[in-house]
Amino acid sequence: MDIQQVLKEAKKAIESCESQQQLQDVKVAYLGKKGKVTGLLKLLKDFTLEEKKSKGAEINSIKVELEELIDKEQAILKTKDINSKLSNEFIDISFPPSSQTEAKVHPISKTFDEVISIFASMGYSVAEGPDIESDFYNFTALNIPEDHPAREMQDTFYIEDKDDNDLPMVLRTHTSPVQIRTMINQKPPIKIIAPGRTYRCDSDATHSPMFHQVEGLFINESANMSDLKGTLIEFCEKFFEVQNLKVRFRPSYFPFTEPSAEMDIAYSIINNELRIGEGDKWLEILGCGMVNPVVLENCKIDSSNFQGFAFGVGLDRITMLKHGLKDIRAFFSGSINWTSKNGFGLGDY
Amino acid sequence: MKFTYQWLLQHLETEKSPEQIGDALTNLGLELENFTDYSSYSKFVVATIVDFKKHPNADRLNICQVDNGGEKQFQVICGAPNVKKGLKGIFATDGMYIPGTDITLKKGKIRGEISEGMMLSERELELSDDHDGIIEITNDFSNGTDAVTALGLNDPIFEIGITPNRGDCLGVRGIARDLAAKNIGKLKALDFNKINDLQFESPINWSIAKDNNNCDYVVSRYFKNVSNSKSPEWLQRRLLSIGLRPINALVDITNYITVDLGRPLHVFDADKVGNSLSMKLASAKDKILALDNKEYQLDATTTIIADEKNPLAIAGVIGGLESGCTETTKNVFLEVALFEPSKVAKVGRKLGINSDARYRFERGLDKAMVEEGLEYASFLINQICGGEVSKNISAGKLIFENIKILYEFNFFQKIIGIELSQEDQINILNKLSFKVEDVNDDNCLVTVPSWRNDIQKPIDLIEEIIRVYGYDNIKVSKPKSTSEELNNVKFSLNNKKNQIIKKLKRSLIANNYNEIITFSFHSSDAHKFLQGDKSLMLTNGISEEHAFMRNSMLYNHLEALEVNRKKGNKNLNIFEIGPIYNTSTSQENILFGLSSRLDLLNKKTPLPKYDFYSLTREVAIFLNTLNFDIKQFNINRAQNSHYHPGQSAELHMGKKLIARYGKVHPIILENFPKLSNSYSFEIYFENLPIDSMIRKNNIKIQESDFQYSEKDFSFIFSKDQNLYEVYRVLTGIDKKLIRQVEFFDEYLSPEIGEENKSITFKITIQSSEKTLDEKDLEQLHQNIIDKISNKFQAKLRS
Repeated sequence: MDIQQVLKEAKKAIESCESQQQLQDVKVAYLGKKGKVTGLLKLLKDFTLEEKKSKGAEINSIKVELEELIDKEQAILKTKDINSKLSNEFIDISFPPSSQTEAKVHPISKTFDEVISIFASMGYSVAEGPDIESDFYNFTALNIPEDHPAREMQDTFYIEDKDDNDLPMVLRTHTSPVQIRTMINQKPPIKIIAPGRTYRCDSDATHSPMFHQVEGLFINESANMSDLKGTLIEFCEKFFEVQNLKVRFRPSYFPFTEPSAEMDIAYSIINNELRIGEGDKWLEILGCGMVNPVVLENCKIDSSNFQGFAFGVGLDRITMLKHGLKDIRAFFSGSINWTSKNGFGLGDY
Repeated sequence: MKFTYQWLLQHLETEKSPEQIGDALTNLGLELENFTDYSSYSKFVVATIVDFKKHPNADRLNICQVDNGGEKQFQVICGAPNVKKGLKGIFATDGMYIPGTDITLKKGKIRGEISEGMMLSERELELSDDHDGIIEITNDFSNGTDAVTALGLNDPIFEIGITPNRGDCLGVRGIARDLAAKNIGKLKALDFNKINDLQFESPINWSIAKDNNNCDYVVSRYFKNVSNSKSPEWLQRRLLSIGLRPINALVDITNYITVDLGRPLHVFDADKVGNSLSMKLASAKDKILALDNKEYQLDATTTIIADEKNPLAIAGVIGGLESGCTETTKNVFLEVALFEPSKVAKVGRKLGINSDARYRFERGLDKAMVEEGLEYASFLINQICGGEVSKNISAGKLIFENIKILYEFNFFQKIIGIELSQEDQINILNKLSFKVEDVNDDNCLVTVPSWRNDIQKPIDLIEEIIRVYGYDNIKVSKPKSTSEELNNVKFSLNNKKNQIIKKLKRSLIANNYNEIITFSFHSSDAHKFLQGDKSLMLTNGISEEHAFMRNSMLYNHLEALEVNRKKGNKNLNIFEIGPIYNTSTSQENILFGLSSRLDLLNKKTPLPKYDFYSLTREVAIFLNTLNFDIKQFNINRAQNSHYHPGQSAELHMGKKLIARYGKVHPIILENFPKLSNSYSFEIYFENLPIDSMIRKNNIKIQESDFQYSEKDFSFIFSKDQNLYEVYRVLTGIDKKLIRQVEFFDEYLSPEIGEENKSITFKITIQSSEKTLDEKDLEQLHQNIIDKISNKFQAKLRS
């Protein structure tokens, strides 16, 4: 029996293995129950005790050596297999994805959210009213009688349906009818804002037939014009995130407020960019005033006991100013590209 | 309202600059909208075309030699048709900025010939829209005279916004009066002489018909043997400076007084009207060709001025063309009247006529100014056109009473929030020509001047006082919000609703839906396809695009999606939270979403397949955002023509519709062939209880570490079995042990019957108290089999 010959053969067989399976086969062929090394042990029975001892030791040593070799080879082949599997799975990591950007909300949503929360911190609750209004709420109760020139200030959309007084229903031209609805249904003190859609039949670069306003109303025993001024300055400073905002109040006219005012904020253009709050040019931001006693009486509120102020802000306009947007018509174009560019994603909304 | 600085100075004695006056106007509530100052035009000069010849390379161009009074002549290439030798115009040389074209001139060649400057048109100087030729100066200015002098532009132009309450400021004189009250100057007396020898009786008479409800008073004079022609230059220039076209002296005088005093009046050619004029209601047969060259059909709501035969003018609105004055007019009948503002407004609006007269009459005139207007017009007609003037002929009564208001001084502080002394308040009222009498410590009696018919109540006086005192002097006080107010905000359902809307929007963008906002309108097409309520039609819609109020957002969104698709957008998921209108009194705010999947070009990064079940999953997520589980609602096939009948669903809670979603009906998508794979959903979140949407439901799912067990069941149900019901029954069998029910397979085959379906679901069972043994599980399994079999006539499939 040539033990070393078997060892030599086995080593060669192990070395020539290319896969873990082959190695397993080799292991069986030499170290298995019917393997060659095991076979050598079986041959020992024909030898003397002395020879059994020495040959037995020799066989055992090559068995150990082979086991070690196989383990080692096993590890090498395993690494090789994984590496080859990995290398087969290499893909082109530079293949670009289909163009896709994060979905966003419309800038108006951001403005709604900010306006509501700024006024919430000042104690104003949100109130609502319908877009399709009766003549009474949109005009008459607001001290805008039929045939009054003030009606011409606002180009009104009418619909076929008639209201209880047989007058055509209108699309509200401002959010002011919510003032009336609130004052009729609620006793003072009243402190509300009413954001929403408004409509005027007007369509050009700076006008859209539909736009957004927020109405504000504060009625108690003493709210006065100084309070109005402070309230609106506070709102604008918070909304535009500018401290010591430069503003101007100038007399104006709305049938439902008296005295009435319009508020302008200063701006300048530096390097083609609009700067809000400083400079010597003025931008009209909102209309406001002390609620006309006639309006209070129209809502059955005693004007000798209660007074207060109201204001109306164009939400599209302040959104455009804050975010540097130019064309109001783009707001309602339904363009996904526009929303992607100008809207707000999860992190900012 | 436009006027010039010099015009204002005719009524106001002041040292203030135009800029200071502009600021004062705005501070008075007469907002300066535009201020045009042409002083920068002094760089342009008068120049004469001394010679010209045809351009060799261009038929329409001429090569002109121009003399601007300097040492050398300039060569100018000019395309104006009115080029001629000796023409005197306005010249700009290179380096000068031309406002009308927004270009700075540069010396250069035009078609090969050198051009060293430009002869200007009115449009290039922004004086008018006229671009038919270059300016021709007919006056005697020498070459080199600056354009400001030559064109009479040394008079800055103010354009101010007049609010509807300030009819008194629709004349330059009224504006001067307001400025004087603000200490900007002193109001001058009107500078004209009354005509004293009124020589004869007017051959034309007036009457006011009894049924007429518009005219209270009219007064006239007859002018004999006038000679009408072009107005004198000062008058033409005044009118031109504010954009009015001079016509002839008689017409120009009335237009001038309309703007100067805010007093509209009218002149008839006396030879074109009968002898007996009346203010009366028109009949339905009457028609009139008006001064705007349009014919108007009249009716019995319209007051007209008529002679024995014909309507001559629409009272307070517009004159008739045929009875108007021309340059050949010899005899004139001047009419000065008072009309009822609301009647004038109504007629003007009905006929769609926006005239200077209507604008003023409907805002209310100074009733005391009838005579002033009559005298001033007589003076100007007599001065400019000569002739003889008749005595007055009038009809009706001129009655007016000044309004008196009892005014309490402390009302000012109550409303404005600052103190102003009694003396200061009275002083301001006096400056505005209010008469203040019976003054005591508390109050006084204020008499309103005749031109301020907008002032009727104490609050109106407050506005006058603070307007003149200055809005800048109102202090800034920031009212503190009370805890009661903050509590109201906290518990306000509307504030909560806005939180919910925000939550929804966040969920939508997280799921790749972009927000858009579309108009609340429906186009005629949309109305036709989606069958809305006729009563929602706009009676004065701007276009077919805005013809109705929308009763669904589907069509608007399909249109938006199609526009986006055409722009190359592939990722077409959009949503909107906004109103839809079922009737004029029923508006619902809903969430609407639309998703259309196009095949992507990029095969390597495909999107997962999108179908009804993907949509269901998304709807389930959005409902989950609102703290609701889709499977808790009653589900039915949608009964709605917008959706594919076999692939759409409605969810209800009781009778309230909560959601509707599915594949868009192919008949609607025929209009959008490229969007044939579109799915939409509507969530009627306002129908869900607000408080449940705000906070999480109180279902406490206890974490358990005991072993769980899963078991699959297959049942044969009738094909139309509602599986949401099965789900609800399953979860109700043992709320303590059944942790989850997941439907995961459907099997259809003739072998189980055509009318049946086999449904497989997995039940996850876990106790929070112990590890369940075989016996416990066995019992629960049997319970499930019994309940489902009995309740739904279902058969367990082995």
